[in-house]
Amino acid sequence: MPEKPENRVERIVSDLLRGRRLRLRAGDAEEKEAITAAARFASASQGPQRMSPAFRRRLAEILESTPRETWLTRRAALVAGLGVAAGALAGGLVGRSLEPGGGPALQAASSPVLPKNGRWTDVGALADFKEGAGKLVKAGAVGAFVFRRGESVSAVSSMCSHLPCELWWDAKPGLLDCPCHPVSFTPDGKPSSPSYTLPDLNEVKARVTDAGRVEVLGT
Amino acid sequence: MTGDPSRPDDPSTPNEHAGEVVELPSATRATDIALDELELVYAFIYARVGNRADAEDLTQQVAMKAIPRLRQGAPASAIRGYLFATARSVLGAFWSMRLGLSQAELHEDLVLAVPQGPTSDEPAERAQRILAGLSDNYRRVLELRFLHGYSLKEVAAEMRSTVGAVKVMQLRALRAAAKVDTDA
Repeated sequence: MPEKPENRVERIVSDLLRGRRLRLRAGDAEEKEAITAAARFASASQGPQRMSPAFRRRLAEILESTPRETWLTRRAALVAGLGVAAGALAGGLVGRSLEPGGGPALQAASSPVLPKNGRWTDVGALADFKEGAGKLVKAGAVGAFVFRRGESVSAVSSMCSHLPCELWWDAKPGLLDCPCHPVSFTPDGKPSSPSYTLPDLNEVKARVTDAGRVEVLGT
Repeated sequence: MTGDPSRPDDPSTPNEHAGEVVELPSATRATDIALDELELVYAFIYARVGNRADAEDLTQQVAMKAIPRLRQGAPASAIRGYLFATARSVLGAFWSMRLGLSQAELHEDLVLAVPQGPTSDEPAERAQRILAGLSDNYRRVLELRFLHGYSLKEVAAEMRSTVGAVKVMQLRALRAAAKVDTDA
């Protein structure tokens, strides 16, 4: 028997008032507005919050101990499809190994994603791709939006060129929107707002095989 | 496309960041500046997740993602812009994962979560503003439960109701609060 919404929310409220983590279960999304409101009220009830001295020390250690050789640019991480791991300590080395040609960390805007030892990944039949509509595909660590134009395809990285957020296809204006800030990109990867200069999205190599399959160059 | 792309809380201009390799200054001062800014990020995140453990995890994620951007000589305001943009992204991923929703489904929530600034969004003031927009019963149940720490049983006794009815009222009050928050 499914949990009643009032019991579901009470469980979360009760946890929050005891200072516990948010432990959410399948189906809780139905009450996401109530849950986020509860989290805000729980925070308000506890007054202004500051980091504990122990946590602040831990952060200081992290900031000071990060080996310089593991740093990488976010853009390099995005090129490797590792946006979420851009700041992760271990991510640096992985990101570097995936840079096109293994070169320096700098990447020119809108350079194509050419993973070292990359391989072509089958992402579906051409018939599955609607003309002009962006379809999100994954080719290993590379995420891309593929666009069909007649019998050919093109693709751009699914990661915003500004913030490390995965874009989504907004069919009505026919744009790729960033969920993290108000910017959009056209299917060819150009930012749609002339007043807000952003690098183009990285091109992702895509092709149609003789057998009518769409392939994307990934990892 | 929504909102004004040139709004002041946007992170610093992309050209400033595009593809550069930046170094964390060796001086402790840089760490101190970063920690002071992360203190604001922590409060911002805490206000949205309502508990210390999640707030610490998410703040740490922000710090780790931001390490490549912390550079010598960068003004605190530039660091702050990037940290808050990162915090929004991290919070979006958090809710997306915990609620099992796609980023697209969270799109509107993320837009709503854009902060006006770390000091203009005090949780207590915001809560009072929201409470003021609720009906008497809804306001009372949330005040007793969250601000006075009453148990459900105590709220039921105070409001001369039953525990079951209070639970339902609490749910409806929170839904209404979310709506007031959205409309504000």
